[in-house]
Amino acid sequence: MRAERLFRVLGLVDPALVEEAAKVQGRRKPWTRWAAMAACLALVISLGWLVTGGFRGYGMSGGAASGSSGNDGGAPGDSSGAGASGGAEGGRSFMSYAGPVMPLATAEDPAGLTAERTVAWDFAPGAYPDGEPRQWGAEVTDAYLLHNGTEEDIAVTALYPFTGSLSDLAAVRPRAAVDGEAVETRLYAGPYAGGFQSTYGADIPDTMNLAPPDGWAAYKALLESGEYLEKALGEYPVLDIPAVAYEFSDFAAPHGEHRAATQAVSFDLDPEKTAVLTYGFNGCEWDGTFRRYSYFVPDGVRRESELKLLIVLGEDIGNYTLQGYQDGGCEAGEEIEGVSCTVRRSETTLDAVLDRLCRYYAEERYARERGEGAFDAIPFPLYRGAVAELLAQYGSLSGTPMDRYGDGRLDDMLQEAAFQDRVLYLAFPVSVPAGGSAEVTCALWKEPSYDFACSGSGNGDLQGYDLAARLGSGLAFTRQSAILENWENVEITGQNFGFDPENGVNAVELSLEQEHYYLEIRPRGQ
Amino acid sequence: MGKVTGEEAETVEDGQIIELYWNRDQQAVRETDGKYGKLLHSIAWNLLHSREDSEECVNDTYLRAWEAIPPARPGAFRTWLGQITRNLSLDRWKSRRAEKRCGGAEVLLGELEDCLPAPAGRARTVEDGELAELLSAFLRGLSREGRVMFLRRYWYGESVAEVADFLGCGEGKVKSSLFRSRKALREYLEKEGIAV
Repeated sequence: MRAERLFRVLGLVDPALVEEAAKVQGRRKPWTRWAAMAACLALVISLGWLVTGGFRGYGMSGGAASGSSGNDGGAPGDSSGAGASGGAEGGRSFMSYAGPVMPLATAEDPAGLTAERTVAWDFAPGAYPDGEPRQWGAEVTDAYLLHNGTEEDIAVTALYPFTGSLSDLAAVRPRAAVDGEAVETRLYAGPYAGGFQSTYGADIPDTMNLAPPDGWAAYKALLESGEYLEKALGEYPVLDIPAVAYEFSDFAAPHGEHRAATQAVSFDLDPEKTAVLTYGFNGCEWDGTFRRYSYFVPDGVRRESELKLLIVLGEDIGNYTLQGYQDGGCEAGEEIEGVSCTVRRSETTLDAVLDRLCRYYAEERYARERGEGAFDAIPFPLYRGAVAELLAQYGSLSGTPMDRYGDGRLDDMLQEAAFQDRVLYLAFPVSVPAGGSAEVTCALWKEPSYDFACSGSGNGDLQGYDLAARLGSGLAFTRQSAILENWENVEITGQNFGFDPENGVNAVELSLEQEHYYLEIRPRGQ
Repeated sequence: MGKVTGEEAETVEDGQIIELYWNRDQQAVRETDGKYGKLLHSIAWNLLHSREDSEECVNDTYLRAWEAIPPARPGAFRTWLGQITRNLSLDRWKSRRAEKRCGGAEVLLGELEDCLPAPAGRARTVEDGELAELLSAFLRGLSREGRVMFLRRYWYGESVAEVADFLGCGEGKVKSSLFRSRKALREYLEKEGIAV
């Protein structure tokens, strides 16, 4: 990549110039960023009433004011350093934590049912899209024998939790079977499972950075109270809020003369009465009541969105000014002629806007980034709901917005809703006859936890797998066991299962008291 | 957040720290961290926007320094460390990008594409050292303010807002200057007949 080479070679320029750039300082002036942020905060508080109708309560309780994830335990957002897949119970910390394999649960009280569980990890090399058969991840078969000790049939909705993002679904969605027959499943998605953190801990208390769940303890804190599951099964936020949408289209600019020709729209608003969200805009300036939003005029070459919306919540903005500039700086003296567009104003609702934007992202942007048909594995209602949830819980509609989303730029939320880690649930019916049993099997490909190859940690070839024994499940387990298959392909480098396959121990009984098991392996011959 | 300062705690001379490395004294790493840790964290953060990744890259920088000295005896120690952190951070960013966890480097590289000369048959490919010399010459030809803006953005990886804040000017001015400098660099490389 040529830009990358240029970046690296720039690192080799005369050190005196680099030193000069570190030390030459201009005349400082009071900057308005914090004032703008404060104004923004006041605005979202004043708009808080807008999202109460039909809202299922995220971020609205008094305890949710911190930067943590919205789960009561708060562990994902804690600045506890690198991932701790094993936590106090042992195991290595991995830079990318894949989450544990979790136990089957039920939507209803499972009284009368007992369960025997057998989890098998199969380390047979998989076949990957690049055609190279190599060991990456494991095929996991999580099997349950449910016994009904009562004199009446018991019908429940089984819930099988698994970790991942919506964009991972094609790879990680489990297949469920009851008594050997594949069953149709319904998918539910919980909210973003992580939190937000400051760049450098408590010294600078911002919430600009995502803090994905970094270990077993994070998932334990997230799931053990049952509230996360309730949210996953509940309704998404209803954002039936009146909105005025300004849509920009029919772009024209003297691209031959100005490669970064920019269209700016500026106006004044009362921050106490109006909030603005954008999609497809590149620049934003705030100064008191003045706002200027700008975008690079689409030239058919750049990959930027050609859908450009400015969404006004609360009091409409009234008159606005359009002006073309040479570039995104929008500096006085750099105005240019020939920049034009059509602006269409429509009265709508925020939900209608989100419907449109989510469709656009799914059909146009996601496909462009990931390939045609890439969105097919994602149920659209889940994605649409996740966007609304993110906006309501952490965006500028929240009572406690995160800095990451505080500028109202919907582009970020539309993208991150697809890629953020969460716990998803497969739901399917299971009937267990009186005095009888039913066999439930969930099979999935499980990504490992790992260190990044370029990290220099020395553990780039290790893969970590965690097992949650009872977390989030109300089932009465009478037995749990674990099996390794195709173990010859891997070397075990750490575990607390008790496997010793070289000596014939590739199946072990698990303690019913222990919550967490871990397994770390290194593929052989890779 | 990602601000770069030239005001490290000047407690130990660079030469003394380098001597500690030569003596295989692990105090070398602690002194390096004390004096330049903040700077290196800033550089890594600006490219990665991830606290954990930034910490890893800075730690790896110390490891590289430990492995390189001796035999190396870098003249501009601060810049030398910064170069290592930049390269490690870029490597990490590429790895992260593969995992769809992008940081700030994507934007920086996107902007630098403006500087790339159009492919031309007569353009010659040069070694990194020669290209760095040409870039230095180009930078010396810029106004001091333009040069500082360019390097704070593309060497230290600061955001436009941070550059503006440091220099006490508006973001628009920084953006315009960067745009002009990128365009000028492209024209300079094209004029020199250099392929990148």
